[in-house]
Amino acid sequence: MIALVIQPSSEADLEEPILEVEGLSVVRSGKLVIQDIDLTILKGEFVGIVGPNGSGKTTLLLSILGILNADSGQIKIYGSKPMSKNLDGKISWVSQAASNLPSDLRLTVRELVELGTLNRSNMFSRRRDKQQVDQAIEMVGLKDVENTDIGRLSGGQRQRAVIGRALASKAEFILLDEPLVGIDRESRSSLLKLLDDLCHDADKTILMVSHDLAAIRQTAHRMIYLEETIKFDGDTSIFPDLTELAELRGIKPVHDEVHGHHHHSHKGAGEDL
Amino acid sequence: MDIGEIVLAIISPILEFISPIVPGETFPYFFTMELFQRALVSAILVTIIAGLMGSFLLIRNLALIGDGLAHVSFGGVAVAIVLGATSPLWYALLFSTVAAILIYEMQSRELLTGDASIAIFLTGMLALGLVTLRIWGGGITSDIHSYLFGNILLIDSSSLNLIVLISIVVIVCLAAIRPILLASTIDPLAARVQGLPVREVGLLFSILTAAVVVSMVQVVGTLLVTALLVTPAATAQFIGRSFRSCLIWTQVFGLSSVLLGLYLSAELDTGSGSMIALVAAAIFAIVATFQFVNKPNSQA
Repeated sequence: MIALVIQPSSEADLEEPILEVEGLSVVRSGKLVIQDIDLTILKGEFVGIVGPNGSGKTTLLLSILGILNADSGQIKIYGSKPMSKNLDGKISWVSQAASNLPSDLRLTVRELVELGTLNRSNMFSRRRDKQQVDQAIEMVGLKDVENTDIGRLSGGQRQRAVIGRALASKAEFILLDEPLVGIDRESRSSLLKLLDDLCHDADKTILMVSHDLAAIRQTAHRMIYLEETIKFDGDTSIFPDLTELAELRGIKPVHDEVHGHHHHSHKGAGEDL
Repeated sequence: MDIGEIVLAIISPILEFISPIVPGETFPYFFTMELFQRALVSAILVTIIAGLMGSFLLIRNLALIGDGLAHVSFGGVAVAIVLGATSPLWYALLFSTVAAILIYEMQSRELLTGDASIAIFLTGMLALGLVTLRIWGGGITSDIHSYLFGNILLIDSSSLNLIVLISIVVIVCLAAIRPILLASTIDPLAARVQGLPVREVGLLFSILTAAVVVSMVQVVGTLLVTALLVTPAATAQFIGRSFRSCLIWTQVFGLSSVLLGLYLSAELDTGSGSMIALVAAAIFAIVATFQFVNKPNSQA
């Protein structure tokens, strides 16, 4: 469904670094989770981070956002420290929480997306930028269901709504943590297509974490393999295959591929890390 | 003149105007006599703010905090009575606010998970109240009884004043922080990334909850605050399809419970708090039954 688009390096003229991470190490509850991370992301890039469970993917994202503190190293987003005031409206975060919103919550797509427009300077004002909200709903293709309670949407639509919320802030740099979890195969393809469009047509920079290697490989320009440290960072076209990955990780592969159709499986088909 | 009396002076003519069409033998007194009018105005105000808080308490998974803080405020009332204070509700406010802050801190710092901190404060402060009363206060008098089960006719002008003050503060604060509160309830991390003051708003919300609970103590009693705090909001969720419509339905169910409850308690000569709680629960049961009958498996 989605062709692997190899972009001619049109990014060359926009070599503006959005994110610069240097020598980052983070300790969580006494355990070193990530260490010595160096990472630069340029404007317009679509970067996928993969790695097994507990390899520090989410920790890396949370540190970039400033929710977790770095134990050493430094992080700069648009030249500022995480959580600083001048980042308002520039970065946006799509967490895993989308799939586990409170079950007794009655909230329409529109109400959810509106929340994305809040920031430090307008949070006490009653006025919401309607155009911004309309645009975000349009972008994620939920115009038809904008007044529907999100509890009644499919997993894929709900995830789109959450992404719509992130877009409503007009953020240029979007970080996503496992946005493909709990979504069926078809919605996953169209979600990836949406992210791809956001990157190419709407000039967003995207950093996405997933354990679904096959899916992320279809869309990301650049891949990072993280397991405590960055073990691979490069163009998606040269991302190592599973055997090489196993060597990178220093283990022998047991199952190379996951075959068969996963009927209603939450993970879906694909190479699962 | 106190703000409570000003509000009463404004509303009183309206109530008298409606009184001829009010059914029942005793119930019309609520529209004509000052003592009863004060009770009615208090009950309506308390229901409105309880409903507003309730919608947020439910989605924040804090349905039982009201119950906890109500027991804490009973401890405050007991101490106030023993000390001979004229307005025990102010003590209740102090006690439950401190407890609300401590509970919030314990939960957000993950010192204790879930409802454990609520349970400890609930029992600890209730026990303090009971022991204090037994040793220095002469046991459970009818005065104490009215705080446990509510006695709407004991609401004097100083209580009304406190209720009006709390209502104004709660409505103004909630109107201001509503979007931030909603954003930080749904996804606290995303809200922090947006630059929203998640922690501060959570703390303010806890303090407001404590205030609302104290305002309810004389209307429904410490044992029954959950009836107005949670039941109407929970009923609304069966019917509402957006957050906004849930807020409106909560008010519809809350105000119906209070008016019908007061009517029945006046006519049948029962306690007002317990009748209001019973009506609220009955409305919940009816709406819930309709939901089950209409769509047996919609959540599957």
